Amino acid sequence: MKLLIIEDEVNLNTTIASFLTAAGYLCETVSNFKDAIEKIDLYEYDCIILDIMLPDGSGLELLRYLKLNKKNDGVIIISAKDSLDDKLTGLQLGADDYLTKPFHLPELAMRVAAIIRRKKMDGHNVINIDEWLYIDTIAQRVTIHNAAIELTQKEYQLLLFFVVNKNRILSKSAIAQHLWGDDMDLADHYDFIYTHIKNLRKKILSAGGEDCIRSIYGAGYKFQVN
Amino acid sequence: MKSFATYQRLNTYIAILIFLLGSIAFYGVLQYVLLRQLDDSLKAEKQEISDYVQKYHQLPVIQNTKHQWVIIDSNAHTFANQKFRTIKLYNTIEQEMQEVRQLSFALAINNQQYFVQVNKSQAETEDLLQLIAILAFSMIALLLVLNYFVNRKLVNKLFKPFQKTISAIQAYKIGQKAPLQLPESSLAEMHLLNTSLNEMSQRIYVEYRSLKSFTENAAHEMQTPLAVMRSLIESIIQQNNLNEQGLNQLTTIDDNIQKLIKLHQSLLLLAKIENNQFQLNETVAINEIIIAKCEEKNSFIETKSLLLKLELNEVNLLFHRQLTDMLVNNMINNAIRYTPVNGEITIQLNKNELIICNTASAGSLDAEQVFKRFYKPQQQQEGTGLGLAIVNEICRLANWPIRYEFQNNKHCFIVQFFQKVS
Repeated sequence: MKLLIIEDEVNLNTTIASFLTAAGYLCETVSNFKDAIEKIDLYEYDCIILDIMLPDGSGLELLRYLKLNKKNDGVIIISAKDSLDDKLTGLQLGADDYLTKPFHLPELAMRVAAIIRRKKMDGHNVINIDEWLYIDTIAQRVTIHNAAIELTQKEYQLLLFFVVNKNRILSKSAIAQHLWGDDMDLADHYDFIYTHIKNLRKKILSAGGEDCIRSIYGAGYKFQVN
Repeated sequence: MKSFATYQRLNTYIAILIFLLGSIAFYGVLQYVLLRQLDDSLKAEKQEISDYVQKYHQLPVIQNTKHQWVIIDSNAHTFANQKFRTIKLYNTIEQEMQEVRQLSFALAINNQQYFVQVNKSQAETEDLLQLIAILAFSMIALLLVLNYFVNRKLVNKLFKPFQKTISAIQAYKIGQKAPLQLPESSLAEMHLLNTSLNEMSQRIYVEYRSLKSFTENAAHEMQTPLAVMRSLIESIIQQNNLNEQGLNQLTTIDDNIQKLIKLHQSLLLLAKIENNQFQLNETVAINEIIIAKCEEKNSFIETKSLLLKLELNEVNLLFHRQLTDMLVNNMINNAIRYTPVNGEITIQLNKNELIICNTASAGSLDAEQVFKRFYKPQQQQEGTGLGLAIVNEICRLANWPIRYEFQNNKHCFIVQFFQKVS
């Protein structure tokens, strides 16, 4: 899986790249418009992570370039502007998703994975964890040892978030943001996340699955698999 | 026209006063002059009589007229001094009381003393005076009336550009895309006023634009460092060499970054609302928004075992969808957050008002302070303290008065849909 990260802020660029590299992607990074065009011309990427504001051009211009050259790369826009207009323009120009800065890295990983799954409609939309846990992301069906388990919408989202970010520590804040978005404040001080995780864990265990959800003291949770 | 009316009144009073004083003085002077003339002609008469007596040593035969007559009395026992006086007499010829000017003197003919009295009626003089007075007064009246109308017409005309300027200023909103453009005026003062106002509005406009772009830039420029901080913290968390305390500190930093982001977004939103950067022309089905929001937040409501009561009528408002969404969202979030476990939330909606009430955990809130920014009652530290400030700003923008009431141990927020009900 090849990713291109186009971001002029070097620190951000590097941390995104190292996080996604650790998640198993092959990452290439550029920090300006010119280099980005060069890379796009030469290679094909599964997903491009694109900052709108570049020192020598607009990310929206790059989207037009991709469209014009009939490139099929998935694109996720990361922008500091939380403006609906920019979002709509970006999506109209063929971007697959839009994430407002600052975001949680696991959230970005989640969105990238979703784009890649969507781009490859050849049976790869089933996530397989060590041959015992299968998640069909189109039907939103979860099976453990070939038996379907019933999950609520939130539990399903939580499990997918864990699985995509497997072996990573997910902070409560990142989980809350992923599950509730702007309503995460409400989830904050009632231990909502804990309740959901407890229920999910119970369901996995009672279906005969492995106990993979670890609580990391002081930090959050981790879905640990080999 | 207030200043004009004041000016006009003062002007009229002064004009009347001056004309009155002038007329009195004029009358006095005229009377004095005419009396002198009368006296002169009386003297001339006396002279004529005296000359005649001296020449012929006998009394002249004098033809009396209706305005002048001479009385000669041979029994000159009284005075002989020449003296003028004015008396009221009955004029037998004209048959009316008249003011008469008299000159009496003594005359000797052949050692015989005569007393001569020359009378001259003042009627003519008075007629003349009267005529002059009438003329003067009608002139004053005419002048005042003309002055009034001419002034009014003129001032109306002069004030027209002033009125135009006033209505242009009243119609101008700071959020408009261009500074104020008042027309040129041929009147020097109006020209000065208009150009000064144009310049002032130009300055305000430029400052407003720079402030606006500052907020926008600040928004953008602040997001990037925050994004860097957050991503670095998340990278560090992934490293396996941290103890619990270190991880705890890192997540605390991340939580505070989150607070900063939220605060910053809320302030930015407030600025946008205050700058009127929204087009308010969407028909919004507020009842549908409320239902959607309640469903969205159902898990929170269930977890706190809250009883939610909805009494919703179908209400369509002409406003802005996103802002209405935010209004409802913030109000419901507040209700959920501050209702104690097993409490009750009621939402009532009809075409006149939206009432959201929730069970209070403590006493009444400060109705004056509750909509202010960063108001946090008691020890409640969650939230940015901007939720209700945003609600308040949205209501202000929509022209919907909002108020807080404390009824039966419930916090009630009441939004009145005053206008724009479609």
